[in-house]
Amino acid sequence: MSETERTIMNLPRRDAPDKLRGRTKYTNDRMDATTLHAALLRSPEPAGRIVRLDVSGALKCPGVRAVAMAADAPGLFGIGIADHPLFASDTVRYIGEPIAAIAADTLEQAHAAVAAIELEIEPAVPVLTMEEALAPGARLVHENWRHYEILFEGGSRRGNIAWEAKSVRGDVDAAFARSDVRIVESTFRVGRQNHVPFEPRVAICTWEDDRAHIQTSTQVPWTVRNVTGKAMGLPPGRVRVTVPPVGGGFGLKFDATIEPITAVLARKTGRIVMLENSRFEETTTCLCRENADIRIRSAVTADGDIVGREATVLMDCGAYGGEQIFLTTMTAHTLGGNYRLGAVRLTSRAIYTNTPPNGAFRACNGVYNTFALERHTDEICAELGFDPIDFRRLNVLGDGDLGATGQVFDGDVLGPMLDRMERLREKVGSARERAAGRLYGRATTVGTWFIFVGPSSATVNLNADGSATLVTSGVEIGSGTMMQSLPQIVAGQLGLDPSDVIVKQADTDAAGLDVGVGGGRTTVSIGAASIEACVPIREKLLKTASEMLQTPPERLTLRNGRVEIAAIPGSGATVAEVVQRAQSIGGPVTGTGSFTAKNVPAMAGCAMGHFIEAIDIPVFAVHDAEVAVDPETGHVEVLSYSVVQDVGRALNPRAIHGQVQGGVVQGLGYALQEEVTLGDQGEIRQSGFESYRLPLATDVVPVAIDLYEGAPSMGPLGTKGAGEVPILNTAATIGCAVANAIKRPVRQIPLTPPRVLRILRGGEPELPHPHISSDWAQDTLD
Amino acid sequence: MSTTFQLNGETCRFDGDPMTPLVDLLRRDRFMTGTKAVCREGFCGACTVHVEGVPVPACLRPVGLLEGLSVTTIEGASRYDAEARRLQAAFERVDVVQCGMCFPGMVMNLSQFLRENRSADRDAVKHAMVGNICRCTGYERIVDAVMECLAEAHSPGGTDV
Repeated sequence: MSETERTIMNLPRRDAPDKLRGRTKYTNDRMDATTLHAALLRSPEPAGRIVRLDVSGALKCPGVRAVAMAADAPGLFGIGIADHPLFASDTVRYIGEPIAAIAADTLEQAHAAVAAIELEIEPAVPVLTMEEALAPGARLVHENWRHYEILFEGGSRRGNIAWEAKSVRGDVDAAFARSDVRIVESTFRVGRQNHVPFEPRVAICTWEDDRAHIQTSTQVPWTVRNVTGKAMGLPPGRVRVTVPPVGGGFGLKFDATIEPITAVLARKTGRIVMLENSRFEETTTCLCRENADIRIRSAVTADGDIVGREATVLMDCGAYGGEQIFLTTMTAHTLGGNYRLGAVRLTSRAIYTNTPPNGAFRACNGVYNTFALERHTDEICAELGFDPIDFRRLNVLGDGDLGATGQVFDGDVLGPMLDRMERLREKVGSARERAAGRLYGRATTVGTWFIFVGPSSATVNLNADGSATLVTSGVEIGSGTMMQSLPQIVAGQLGLDPSDVIVKQADTDAAGLDVGVGGGRTTVSIGAASIEACVPIREKLLKTASEMLQTPPERLTLRNGRVEIAAIPGSGATVAEVVQRAQSIGGPVTGTGSFTAKNVPAMAGCAMGHFIEAIDIPVFAVHDAEVAVDPETGHVEVLSYSVVQDVGRALNPRAIHGQVQGGVVQGLGYALQEEVTLGDQGEIRQSGFESYRLPLATDVVPVAIDLYEGAPSMGPLGTKGAGEVPILNTAATIGCAVANAIKRPVRQIPLTPPRVLRILRGGEPELPHPHISSDWAQDTLD
Repeated sequence: MSTTFQLNGETCRFDGDPMTPLVDLLRRDRFMTGTKAVCREGFCGACTVHVEGVPVPACLRPVGLLEGLSVTTIEGASRYDAEARRLQAAFERVDVVQCGMCFPGMVMNLSQFLRENRSADRDAVKHAMVGNICRCTGYERIVDAVMECLAEAHSPGGTDV
């Protein structure tokens, strides 16, 4: 039995018993009678200048222990550009922006003191939409944008354009000028999506030995450490971050704006300080999946070759750049993915507006770019008379094809996956009869995503009782990676049972650097580091056992908690005995490993302003849906949903199925019912569960799933991350299926009943996108 | 004015504001954090407890209305309620848990539903779950586990509690 075979199993989660019994202590369960509670004064204006901020009255309120403001943490932070202050100092840029924080004995006292702060803002006219932000003479959201520290070189910036990434491969003008092509142009607009993690953003800080110790509900402990240091002007090493079980993240908890506030207040008071967003705060200042405006043009021959493609994608980053700066990179790999293209040029811009900042959300950028790309593909098929599935078979990326930045794809994956989808659909059958008189539509779409690699580290300590302790900065956000795939991987390497692998919760004082849990990276990156950490341990165990058993190491194997002579099951000694022996002669048995991106090459000059020029581990997905649309109400019912997902290798198929079901349902919410709209002051209008409509049990169907294994991957044991990608082409598939059902183009999501009715009755406004020129070159900075 | 009620079989006396939501008494006063405060508006179901055996959202129940009544939380049900325990075992077996924050409320609601609806079909189970929102799992595997529980209760060797 190989190490890989030993690793694969439907291991149940070790954290389930406590979670089911209410015993798990999430961060927001960790208050006690000595904890101070913090509350924030947030901006009531979307734009303006703070002309008076007087906290003297608040400080006299009962129970108040400290106040924190911009002067306490003046450092700017961000991704790519340092444009984000912890507290607004003189300029406010969105409704809900933190201005001051109060720590008091009780939460009620903290709120009362916040209400006693005297604040006067001289309002400015807010810039609410990307169209307004890009208009000539638009007010600048960041007047001093030129003077911000640049943290990553290469992006173009100007005024309200916070960042521009561009990829150009081949002669696109020549492709569009060919006499044998038809040009198809489409525009799209998507709204925001709110993560709604059940545990809001929350942190608890103590000040210990002149350092901050922050317990927090985060996906990125090392980012929290670094941002806290940068905001407070401290070396990041003065900040320790530990992470209890996280009650849902979905990308939102890449944020690091709650934690530094607790650190400032803990330092001032010398007490335990907890800051937890109320549900209202959490929802209305959510770093949503960004709204985006998209224009795509393609030049296609009568044979169906896509000889030219160009697109401009505008991403609303809100008041600060945040993740969108990084995510401009992804357009080249998502909208520029899926298909073999002759020549291609893409611009992706993050635009400042006076609205709550947006952020990262599961398959960021890819979800709506795949929606736009797949709907555009169906519009090409409609105009040129191709069958949509045949057209996809003809054009999907295969072995040796070039991506938008010139990277060379390895292996035929999407083509065989389309075949597998056909077989899966034959197996599960059609649900068409359930449409029962309503409009029926079906669609199959493809999607391209990636595994976000980057640095991870792992230490494995082998204990004298035969157990192993895995020390990493990985975080359990619900996906199960820390509970399932990582102990499975370590157990497989060392011949242990996974229950004998102790997994330490993330602690930046104990484990090495890690870029965090997200981008489907944990199994791959921490898994690879963990395997490397096991190498010296295996060597030491085999060497020690070889002496104990008088047998050459190459004839020994690690299995069933023993070091055995390979040919004789049950022979040899227990791992515990070997560890005890090894400890006595050579000291503790430990190993460390590290992993980082391999940096697959792009074509020189193809990618400007990109944080990732080529994707190390591509991931592909094929989705299929059947829908029924009620022409009277506009309600869309999903009749069936099927997924073929490229997983590299499935270490825990059952757990992956759980991720697929959950990810697809989040995507169905995005496609059909989760709507964020902004009020006339740029505020998020859906402030809670009543107005923001999450999918309920009665809204969903069981997803038919086929895991596609064997595609090339540099991940350990051939794995790819499986938890992020299931949401990737859900909106695309539903959008295409609804368009097929109602026989009208779908260019916006979510497809709420009112929108579907408007489309059916011809009342849905066109999307002329005056802020995105049909002349691609007009919309690029030098 | 004080309120006295039974909390997981023990007498609980509360001297604070009778309008205090039960969820705050549990979490902030008693540090019984198994009951989750998520939406605090009665939509999500994460704070579901039993009052006189009936599942109710603890966020909408002022403590002052509990005088003389019996309240069971997830902490109590996990020890004494056979139906809740059978459901928890099925959820573990089918590996349905992800972030886990909705599950205490899910267990409290569905345990009572199962007691009263031994013949529920899949559709009825789903309708019983609309007051329990889950952001992670997409529900279907939770329904699978509930259906297993129902089948178990019907099987010859099953224990009908």
